[in-house]
Amino acid sequence: MIITSINRTEAFRYLGIKSTPDNATLQLADECEKILLAEMAPKFCWSYAEIFKHSDTSVKLSGYTLSLDGNDISAHLDGCIGVVLMCATLGNNVDMLLRKTQTQDMAKAVILDAMASTAIEQVCDEAEKKISARLENKHLIWRFSPGYGDFPIEVQKDFLSALNAQKVIGLCANSSGILTPTKSVTAVIGVHKKSVQNKKHSCESCNMRDRCNYRKTGGTCQ
Amino acid sequence: MKKEKFYKLLSENEFVFLDGAMGTMLQSKGLETGGVPELLNLTKPEWLTEIHSAYVSAGSQLVYANTFGANRYKLAETGKSVAEIIPAAIANAKNAVGDKALVALDIGPIGQLLEPTGTLSFEDAYDIFREQIKAGKEADVVVFETMTDLYELKAAVLAAKENCDLPIICTMTFEQNMRTFTGCAISSMAITLEGLGVDAIGVNCSLGPRELEPVVAELSKWTTLPIVVKANAGLPDPVTNTYDITPEEFAESYVNLVKYGVKLVGGCCGTNPDFIRAVVKKLDGMKYTRPEVQLEAAVCTPAKTVEINQPRIIGERINPTGKKLFKEALKRGDIDYILNQAIQQIEAGADILDVNVGLPDIDEKEMMVKVVKAIQSVTDLPLQLDSTRPDVLEAALRIYNGKPIVNSVNGEEGSLEAILPLVKKYGAAVVGLTLDEGGIPKTADGRFAIAEKILDRAQKIGIPKRDVFIDCLTLTASAEQKAVMETINALHRVKTDLGLKTVLGVSNISFGLPNRELVNCNFLQMALTNGLDLPIINPNAALMTGAVRAYKLLTNIDENASEFIAAYAESSMTTSMSSTSSAPVQQKSGVTDLPTAIANGLKSEGAKITEELLKTHDTMDIVDNMLIPALDKAGAEFEQGKIFLPQLIMAANVAQAAFEVIKSHMSAGGETVSKGKVVLATVKGDIHDIGKNIVKVLLENYGFDVIDLGKDVPPETVVEAAVSHSVKLVGLSALMTTTLGAMEDTIKLLHEKNVPCKIVVGGAVLTPEYAEKIGADYYAKDAKETVDIAKKIYAE
Repeated sequence: MIITSINRTEAFRYLGIKSTPDNATLQLADECEKILLAEMAPKFCWSYAEIFKHSDTSVKLSGYTLSLDGNDISAHLDGCIGVVLMCATLGNNVDMLLRKTQTQDMAKAVILDAMASTAIEQVCDEAEKKISARLENKHLIWRFSPGYGDFPIEVQKDFLSALNAQKVIGLCANSSGILTPTKSVTAVIGVHKKSVQNKKHSCESCNMRDRCNYRKTGGTCQ
Repeated sequence: MKKEKFYKLLSENEFVFLDGAMGTMLQSKGLETGGVPELLNLTKPEWLTEIHSAYVSAGSQLVYANTFGANRYKLAETGKSVAEIIPAAIANAKNAVGDKALVALDIGPIGQLLEPTGTLSFEDAYDIFREQIKAGKEADVVVFETMTDLYELKAAVLAAKENCDLPIICTMTFEQNMRTFTGCAISSMAITLEGLGVDAIGVNCSLGPRELEPVVAELSKWTTLPIVVKANAGLPDPVTNTYDITPEEFAESYVNLVKYGVKLVGGCCGTNPDFIRAVVKKLDGMKYTRPEVQLEAAVCTPAKTVEINQPRIIGERINPTGKKLFKEALKRGDIDYILNQAIQQIEAGADILDVNVGLPDIDEKEMMVKVVKAIQSVTDLPLQLDSTRPDVLEAALRIYNGKPIVNSVNGEEGSLEAILPLVKKYGAAVVGLTLDEGGIPKTADGRFAIAEKILDRAQKIGIPKRDVFIDCLTLTASAEQKAVMETINALHRVKTDLGLKTVLGVSNISFGLPNRELVNCNFLQMALTNGLDLPIINPNAALMTGAVRAYKLLTNIDENASEFIAAYAESSMTTSMSSTSSAPVQQKSGVTDLPTAIANGLKSEGAKITEELLKTHDTMDIVDNMLIPALDKAGAEFEQGKIFLPQLIMAANVAQAAFEVIKSHMSAGGETVSKGKVVLATVKGDIHDIGKNIVKVLLENYGFDVIDLGKDVPPETVVEAAVSHSVKLVGLSALMTTTLGAMEDTIKLLHEKNVPCKIVVGGAVLTPEYAEKIGADYYAKDAKETVDIAKKIYAE
C-alpha cells in the first residue's frame, strides 16, 4: 500500500493546533512528512467471518475461537451478518525513527508522532476501501477498535492470533495489550447485507468522553 | 551424537526433503482459527500421527513436530505447560515416522516483540526458548523458523547452544523487499548466524517459491552453510483462506532454486503432502550444486551490513577518557548524552562506532549493556565493543544485535585465552593489538610476529581469518618519532603478507604537538596508503573524515566520486574543512537577546548569545532573569492557546541549548544550577513515552535535573531511584487503561516504602479524580502543568 501524503489538518488537530500553525511548525511539518513517508512501510491484513451467535454482551464468529465481548461492540454490530477483522501497521522503522528523533529534537518528535498517528488512520481508510471492493454486495459500517467503549483492550492477543498478524504483517501486542510496532491499529468492521445508515460515532461509548478537549468546547472528533 | 545423524542425512542425499505445513493440515481436520494447535498433541494425537505419516509417505526425511507455538507465553491461558506439550509432540512425531525420518523440535517466534519496540527483554526471550529446548531434547534437530527479528533468533540460538547438543536450523521470513518485517537484511542474518555456529540457514513462509528466488539468490552470496527453503503455496486469499498455486507449479519453481545451493527443501503455509511429493519427484535426478562463495570481512546490525572492503571509519567519541562531560553523563546515567554522541558521529560520517564506558566508579558491565541496547535502539550502525574486561565484553557480546567487533585481544597469553573463546562463541570479529608480555615491540618485525601469533591462535579455535583485524599501535610522534614508520611498516606487512584487515587509532600520533589535526591528517593518509582499513578517528573532525573520503575518491573506491560529492556538494569546502565541527554554517538572524531567540525557536542563536552573556553575566542571573522568564512567557502563551505544543517545545529546545552552554561553563568551575532532581518514568508495561519525554525537556529547561528511567519501568526501579537520588518529586506517566494498574502499584510501593516524595501523574487516560483515587499527590494535564507543580514543590 502506498500513501503519498499525510493529512496535515488531522495531524495538527492531534497536536491541539486550532489555528494556522506558525512558520517554524509548518517548516518542521514539511520535513517530518518527508521523513515519515520514507520510513513507513504500511501493511494490513484482514479476514471476513460470519457471525453465528449474537447476544447483548458478545458476538461469536464461525470458525474462530475469537469472541468479541462487550455491550458496545455487540450493539454496534446489531443487524450485521458478519464482520471484517482487520489490522494495519506502519512497521518497525517508524518506532525507531520516533525513538531516534526524541533523543534529538522533541519538537520534531511530537509532530512526527502526530503525523504517524494520522498516517495509520489513512492506511486503515485505504485498506477499508480495498476490503469493501472485495466484498461485493456487502455493506461495511465504521471501524470499531479494542479499547473503544467496553470492548476490552485485552482482546488484542487473541485478535492478532485470529489474523495470524505476526506472520502476515509483523504485528504483535505486549502483555498490556499495547500493539507493537506502536503505530498500528486493530479493528472490527461490521458487515451488513443491505445498505444501512452508517451510525455516527457516539461520545457515549467513548473512553475519552470525560477528558475530551473537543467535547469541552462543544464539538466532536468527527 | 545427534549432529552426526543430521550430517549423515545431509551427506547421503543430494537434497533433504522436509515436510509441509502443519497448521494448514490441522485446520483441514477441524482446528478453528485462533485455536492453539499444540494442544492437539494431547487431545488428538492420532491427527498428528496421520499428518506426520502422510508427509513421510510423500518423501519427507525430516519432519517438524507440532511445537511451533509451544512456549510459555502462547500457552499461558491453556492450562498446559511447555513440559507437557513438547515431549508429547515429539513422541507423536517419532511414533509416526519411526526410522524413516528425523524429527525436529520446531520453534517459532514467541509472539511478542522484543525490546526496543516491544517490552520483552532479550534475557526473558532467552529464558522462554531455554524452557522449550530443555523440553525437546528427544528431538534430532532444533529448528527456529518464521523468525523476523534477528535479536529474537539470537536469543533462541544461544539458548539452544547452551542447553542442548542438537544441530540447529534457522529460517527467517523475508518480504519481497528482501527484508524481514523488523528490517533485517539477508546479509546480516547470514553473517550473524554463521558466526553463532548454526548448522543450516534459510527462508520460510511469507511468499511462494517463485517470489523467493531473489531472496535465496542473495542468501547464497553470504553463507557457506547448507541453505533451507520452505516456501508457501503462493499467496493467501483473505476471504477463502486458500493459497494460489498447485503442487506442480510449486515443484517447478524449486527447480530454479537448486542452482543457489539449496539443500533442504519443504513447504510452509498452504502446502500439504502432495506438494512435497511433487517436489521430491521433480528434483529426482538433479544434483545439489553449491556455488563457490568467498566470504569477506563484514560486521553488522540487523538492518545494516558493513563490509570491510574499503576504509571504514570507526568513531571513537563514545569513550570517557579525557572527557569531563562524558564522565559526568556516565555517572548520572544520562543515556541521552551518549546517544547524542552516537548520532552526531553517524551524521558526520562514521561507519562503525566504538563503545567504551569504562570508568572506575560505575558498574561498567551494567552500563555497557545499557548503552549498547540504547544505541541499537536508535541507530543501525555496527558497534565495536571496547573494554579491558572480559566479563564486560561477554555481557555486551551476548546482548548485541548482529555481528560486532571486539576491542580487543593482544598477544599476552592471558588475553588470548580470555578473549578469543568469547569472540568464537558469539561470532564476532576481533581487534588484535600487537603487544604482549614484553610490551609494544619497537620494530615492525616484532609487531608483525605478534600479529601472526594472534592470527594463529584465533584460527586454532575456529575464528575465520577474515574476522581478525590487526592494530599495529600508534605511538606518540613527539615522544617516539622513530617509531612512527615502524607502525606504518608493520601495518603494511600485516595487510600484504598476512592478508588481514588492519585497524589503527590515529589521534594519539600528535599528542603533545601543536597543530595536531595537521599531523593526524597526514598520518592518516600515510596509513591509508599503506593499507589501513579501519581508522579509529573522531568523525566530527571534518578534516579527518574528509581525508578518508578524499582517499576513497583518489583510489577509485568511491566511483564517480558520488560519496564525496554527496558529502560536500552543498557546503562550501573551505568552510567545512577549516572548522573542527561539521555543524552547518549558521545563518545570521540578527537576533541578539535570549528571550527573542527563545520565543522564535532559534537554537543556535540561543547558544551563541548565551556564550556571549557568560562573559558579562553571572550564570544564575542568566538562568533566573532571562531563561526562565522567557520560558514562562512561552508557557503562558501555550496555556492561552496563543502558541501550540511544537512551538512550546521549540522554545524549550533553545533554552536547552543555552543550558548546555551554561553547564559546560560551570562544570569547568564546579558550580551547579540545579533547581532539584525529579524522577520520571513511564510505568511498567507501557511503552508510550513521548509525553514523558516532553515533560523531561521542559523540566530540564527550568533547571531541574531529570532522572529519566525510560519506559516500561518496574515499580521497584522507581522506588530505588527516588530513594538513591533523594528526590522530592516523582512523575509517572501511563497512556493505556491497561497500564493504570501498574501506575497504582508504583504509587503504592512508594508509599509502602515511605519514600518522602510527592507524586505527579499524567497521561491520556487519566483524570484528576482517578489520580486522586490511586494515591497520587498531583494530576498534571500537560507538561507545562508538571513544571508548575515541580516549581511549587521545590519552592517549599
